[in-house]
Amino acid sequence: MNKSLYNIFKLFFYVGVLLLGGGYVILPLLQVELIDKRRWIDDNELCEYYALSQSVPGIISANMAIFVGYKLRKFWGALAAIFGIILPAFVSIVILAQLMTIITHMRFVKSMFWGIGIGVLTLIFLAVKEMWPKSVVNRRTGWMFLGAFLLSAFCKVSPIFIIVVAILGAIVVAFVKPNEDEGEEE
Amino acid sequence: MILYIKLFLEFFRIGLFSFGGGYATIPFLYHLISTEKWFTSQQLSDMIALSSITPGPVGVNMATFAGYTTSGIKGALIATVAIVLPSFIICLIVAKLLEAFRTNKYTQTIIYVLKPVSCGLLAAVGIKMFIDNLNLLGLLLFGFFLYLTTKEKRDPLFYLAISALVGLIAGFFNLVD
Repeated sequence: MNKSLYNIFKLFFYVGVLLLGGGYVILPLLQVELIDKRRWIDDNELCEYYALSQSVPGIISANMAIFVGYKLRKFWGALAAIFGIILPAFVSIVILAQLMTIITHMRFVKSMFWGIGIGVLTLIFLAVKEMWPKSVVNRRTGWMFLGAFLLSAFCKVSPIFIIVVAILGAIVVAFVKPNEDEGEEE
Repeated sequence: MILYIKLFLEFFRIGLFSFGGGYATIPFLYHLISTEKWFTSQQLSDMIALSSITPGPVGVNMATFAGYTTSGIKGALIATVAIVLPSFIICLIVAKLLEAFRTNKYTQTIIYVLKPVSCGLLAAVGIKMFIDNLNLLGLLLFGFFLYLTTKEKRDPLFYLAISALVGLIAGFFNLVD
């Protein structure tokens, strides 16, 4: 299959449809589609993109699409890929949102969504649990976690403010400590 | 018009500062509840549930839904474009300067710091939602779910389906609110 923009769009549209419940399934999905079926890129490149996608801001699977699209057909490839991966999400949510505004006023739907709130709490707990081993790797990162947690949970500090302060702090630390690795990351 | 510009700016910022997957957008969306009043805590919770069971990246789902509840299809379009635009720009730059990015001590330190901070922010939302809307029944159900998470890995749909069912039954017996 040739790497036309349409084919890139189609591939990521397909991946976008299959992306259910979190971007973490994108790696196995792309492994099958890009490497096994199409041989467009190799395994090392894909893993590299996956690591990079987690190291830049934004949604991991969207970042993956942009990196792979760029690799295949530069700027327009990236555009085709991001458009493809977003479209299923967009369409399904717009349709469902319309339905939601109609049904959420019904009494039984309200109590159902009250229950779902508990399920959502569980999903958030699981997401934190999944991020934990990759992010809190030693005592220092433990303090960072605790600081962000306390400021956000009990002081109503804006998360953007916390992130910006963290970025500035990191720049200062990197500036003060030249030529030294940050220790046992990963 | 001003609402559209505000929507764009807010979601552009979320795309720029959220870090570590779709759920990383949640703290920012939660903060919007108090600052912009575009949606309620309950609606955000509905959004998260819906996003977890529909196709597409959860973060994009959330942006589309939040934009839609705020100002219809145009809002959905604006929020969705705005949340991926920073990714698009940054990824293109990073793809061009791949080697420099990987070994640069500044980017490496920033990533090292942002990972635990993002994790802490998400945990804070969990606590706030927990305080927002929990009664005895909810507490029991949540405790049961926590117990289940230690057993085996399950699909998000599993937890959402069970909790929906419990909510329905509880509503039938007037145990909610």
